[in-house]
Amino acid sequence: MDDLKLPYWAAGIALVLAATLMVRDAYIASVINLIAIAALTAVSLRFVMLMGELNFATAAFVGIGAYTTGAAVTILEWPFLVAILAGGLMAGLVSIAFGYVTLRTKGPYFLLIGFAFTEAVRILYSKSTVLGGTSGMIGIFPPVALDAWMPTVIVGISCIVILALYVLERSDFGKILTAIRDNENVARTVGLNILLVKIACFAAASMAAGVAGSLHAYANNVISPGDFSFLVAAFALAYVKVGGEDNIVGPLVGSVLLVILGSYALGLGGDEHIFYGAAITLAVLLLPHGITGLLSGRRGRSAAKGH
Amino acid sequence: MQTAIQLILTSLQIGAVYILFSLGLTLIFGVMRIVNFAHGHLFAVSALVVASTVPWLVGAGFPILSAYLLGAVAGVAVALAVGLVMYVGGFRFFQRDLVGSFILSIGLVLLLDGVLLRTFGGAVRPVPDIIPGTVTVLGAAITSQRLALCVAAIAVTGLLYWALTHTKLGKALRAVSIDHEAAMLQGIPYNRMALAGFMIATVLAALAGVLIAPVTIVSPAIGADYLIKGFIAVIVGGLGSVPGAILGGLFVAAIETVGGFYFDPSSATIAIFVLVIAVLLVRPKGLLGHG
Repeated sequence: MDDLKLPYWAAGIALVLAATLMVRDAYIASVINLIAIAALTAVSLRFVMLMGELNFATAAFVGIGAYTTGAAVTILEWPFLVAILAGGLMAGLVSIAFGYVTLRTKGPYFLLIGFAFTEAVRILYSKSTVLGGTSGMIGIFPPVALDAWMPTVIVGISCIVILALYVLERSDFGKILTAIRDNENVARTVGLNILLVKIACFAAASMAAGVAGSLHAYANNVISPGDFSFLVAAFALAYVKVGGEDNIVGPLVGSVLLVILGSYALGLGGDEHIFYGAAITLAVLLLPHGITGLLSGRRGRSAAKGH
Repeated sequence: MQTAIQLILTSLQIGAVYILFSLGLTLIFGVMRIVNFAHGHLFAVSALVVASTVPWLVGAGFPILSAYLLGAVAGVAVALAVGLVMYVGGFRFFQRDLVGSFILSIGLVLLLDGVLLRTFGGAVRPVPDIIPGTVTVLGAAITSQRLALCVAAIAVTGLLYWALTHTKLGKALRAVSIDHEAAMLQGIPYNRMALAGFMIATVLAALAGVLIAPVTIVSPAIGADYLIKGFIAVIVGGLGSVPGAILGGLFVAAIETVGGFYFDPSSATIAIFVLVIAVLLVRPKGLLGHG
């Protein structure tokens, strides 16, 4: 196994958590929540990109996680952590069934079917009276004791899940995913069950997306079908592309940068769609490897010059 | 019996627009191997231009039909300009790069969403009746406008089919979509064909927008609804296949009409989704897809 750079991760997570403990301002706290949830969604999207597929159903699984938590809290009155786990597990289970059928397809078909799935799931929420129909669910509150520490809790849970996906990416499993992306048929010739590996990758990413949805439900207290359109996946894609997809740090950088800039632009009366649209378009045209790609590319060049 | 005829007629009307839409998507995919999510916005741009110029021209004293024709020309021209900018400024660099082009198109979708909303406002725009009156076909009533829409869409589809099978350009486009390297070896200029394919698809989307404007309520969000149905149609039919796009368009329209009649529109959408999953389970590349 490669060097996981775990000391850096531990230091980084500790630093971020310490910073969230300082926050007392409600607006800053809400932006921090948004960043943590956005980063988790973006890392989930990128995890499926490791095997060369663009997973637009991410938006649907964020929604499934959020609605599961919503139902668990408001109807079943389950405790906090159990409700979050339930969100992740539900998203994972649905993704196994969905993936079993759709992962036989590839490329554009998989992408478009994920897009259609997102819309179909949204229609299901709005038709279900138990789940609040088109107006959604209200009153998804965290326990009172945790209320003041929500940013720390949300960032902490996001960090754990992101770290888990990172460890998975660096393990032998991650190498199989890269092999599938590079050439699926070669991977099949060495006896790997490609469909099974793909479903495992998809389920892991979807569980992360489900947890992101659960956190969203707790952070917002209110969820509605409109929150989980394909735009969730489109924004996650923006974080991945702007930050850079070659490294797991990319989506983190992208989500921190874009959420802060986006909230600032929104505060000035800007248009969120134009902002994110311009960010994605410019990033794809000008920075094919994102911001982290730009930095590591420069480091690589200067290192080459040094030798 | 009368219900059946009515349902078939309605399916044909909706299907006609879906066909124009999915033909464009399948053409772009075939020639450039890209998925263009911004296709729906080309359609929305032309419908919005028609919906804003027609009332204005009628107010200026033009007769309604010539106002509509002028509006149609303006709508197609604006959509072509937007399409050209998209191709030259973006998609040209992402040919045969599915993920890159898709991400670019998502960026364009968000950008155009915002720009259209700013330019045209969020309000819905009704377009006055172009051809008033209704006709009765085999005992089923249909407004003349919708009949005209149907006839025009079928004419455009027929023209495209003829062009693809009989003209030099059409044959070149088909050759490129089957194997672009072999086509280039035969001396077919690939880059020119990619531009031609993209612009023909833009014209198809713009025409669909022009035709749909008088029979529906036009708003900047109109593109998204048709886009998802158009994509489902090409998934069912098989990406890159022209007969597949026609078949898929009719399939989606028929389920939507019948499901909407016996149940409700949102159940029909879910039924379409379930059927697509069933099709993919049997044929992962769509009914008529290959390669």
